Amino acid sequence: MEGLIAFWAASGIANFTGGQVLMMAVGALLLFLAIVKGFEPLLLLPIGFGAILANIPNGGFIDEGGLLFLAYHVGIETGVFPLLIFMGVGALTDFGALIANPKMLLLGAAAQFGIFATLIGAIALNWVPGFEFSMKDAGAIAIIGGADGPTAIFLASKLAPELLGAIAVAAYSYMALVPLIQPPIMRLLTTEAERQIKMEQLREVSKKEKIIFPLMVLGLTILFLPAATPLVGMFCLGNLMRESGVVDRLSNTAQNELINIVTIFLGLAVGSKLSADKFLQLETLGILVLGAIAFAIGTATGVLMAKLMSKMSGGKINPLIGAAGVSAVPMAARVVNKVGLEANQHNYLLMHAMGPNVAGVLGSAVAAGVLIAVLG
Amino acid sequence: MNSIPEQIVQAVGIMFLGMGLVFVFLTILILCIKLVAMKFAPLPQEKATRAAENESTQPAGVDPKIIAVITAAIHQYRAKA
Repeated sequence: MEGLIAFWAASGIANFTGGQVLMMAVGALLLFLAIVKGFEPLLLLPIGFGAILANIPNGGFIDEGGLLFLAYHVGIETGVFPLLIFMGVGALTDFGALIANPKMLLLGAAAQFGIFATLIGAIALNWVPGFEFSMKDAGAIAIIGGADGPTAIFLASKLAPELLGAIAVAAYSYMALVPLIQPPIMRLLTTEAERQIKMEQLREVSKKEKIIFPLMVLGLTILFLPAATPLVGMFCLGNLMRESGVVDRLSNTAQNELINIVTIFLGLAVGSKLSADKFLQLETLGILVLGAIAFAIGTATGVLMAKLMSKMSGGKINPLIGAAGVSAVPMAARVVNKVGLEANQHNYLLMHAMGPNVAGVLGSAVAAGVLIAVLG
Repeated sequence: MNSIPEQIVQAVGIMFLGMGLVFVFLTILILCIKLVAMKFAPLPQEKATRAAENESTQPAGVDPKIIAVITAAIHQYRAKA
C-alpha cells in the first residue's frame, strides 16, 4: 500500500498545477499549428514539444542538468545556436538578385522602420498598468519586426533573456502568418495600376561578384558596426562557402545537416522557456500585440519606400516588392509574387522580390547590431 | 528609473539613430556593389557580339568542299540502297 501511495505522489496527475496544464495546452496548440496548419513546422513542432516537456511535473527537463536546461544553457544563453543557423541561412542564400539590382538594399533598410517604431510602442505600453518594459526589453521585443527568427533569438538572449520564450514564439508565429498579415497592407497602399507594373529582367551576375560580396559585407561591418559581426560574420561565412565553390561539402553540411540538427535543439530550448511561471504573464500578451504591429509597420514602410522609388524611376519598379524588405525569406517574396499575379496573370515578381528579401536579412542584422551597440 | 516621457524621447532618439545607421550602412554597400560591378560584371555587349559572331560564322564557316563531299556521300549511300 505504501508503494502505491509513493507511486501516486510521484505521478503526473497528483502534481499538476493549473499553469502547467495551460502551458501544455499552448504546446499542443503549437503542435496543431505546425502539423495541421503547416505553420513553420520546422520550428513550431520542436518548440511545441519542448513546451510540453518543460511543463511536466517532476520531469526535471528544465532543472539544472536536465536536457532542455542544458540545450538552453549551451546553445541559446551563449548565442551559439542562432549564429549556427545564420551560417546555414547564409549558405542557403543567393545574393544574385540583389547584386544585379543593388538599389533594392534601400527597401531592406526601409522595412526595418517597423523595428524602431515598435521600440517606442513598447516603451509607451508602460503607461498601461502592469507593464514595465525596460529599454533593453523594448529593444528585444522590437526586433520581432525584423521578421528573422535567429536574429530575434540572438538579440533577446543578449538583451532580455527572461522574455526570450515569448519573443521567439511571436517571431516564428508571425513569420508563419506572413501570407495573412501582408497582402491587405500591400493592397491598401498600392493602386491596381502600380501592382501591374512589369519589371525589367535582371542582368547576369559573375561568379567574382558573388564571391566578393560576402567579403565586402563583412569588411563594412568590421569598419562600421562591430557589434553586428557575430550575426553578419557567420552569415558571410556561410555565403562564402556557397559561392566560392571550393568547399561544397562544408556548404552542403551548413545548409542541410548542421542547420537541421541545430534547429531541433534550438526549438526544444526555446520551448523550455515556455514554462508557466515565465510565459503566463501580461507581458506576453503585450509582446504578441507589439510583434504584430512591428510586422505591419515594417511591411508598410517597405511598400511606401518602393512606391517612392517607383515614382522616381518613372514607374519601373513595382511597389509590391517593398513588402519583401522585411526578410522572412523566402515567404515574403512568395507573397509578393502571389499578390502581383492577382493583378496581372503574367507578371512574375519572384526574382525581383528576392533582392529586397535578402536585403531585409542584412538590414535586420544591421538593426540588431545597432540595438546591441546602443543598448547592450 | 526614468519617467516614461523621458524614455520615449530616448526611444525616438534611438529610432532616428538606428534608421540613419541602417540607411547609411546599406547605401555604402550599394556603392561598393556598384564599384565591384564596374570591374567584374559580365559585359552584356560582349555576350551579344559573341552570339552574333556565332550566328554569322557558323553557316559561312562550313566549307563548301565539305558540303560537296557530304552530298556526294549521301548520293552514294542512296544509290546503294
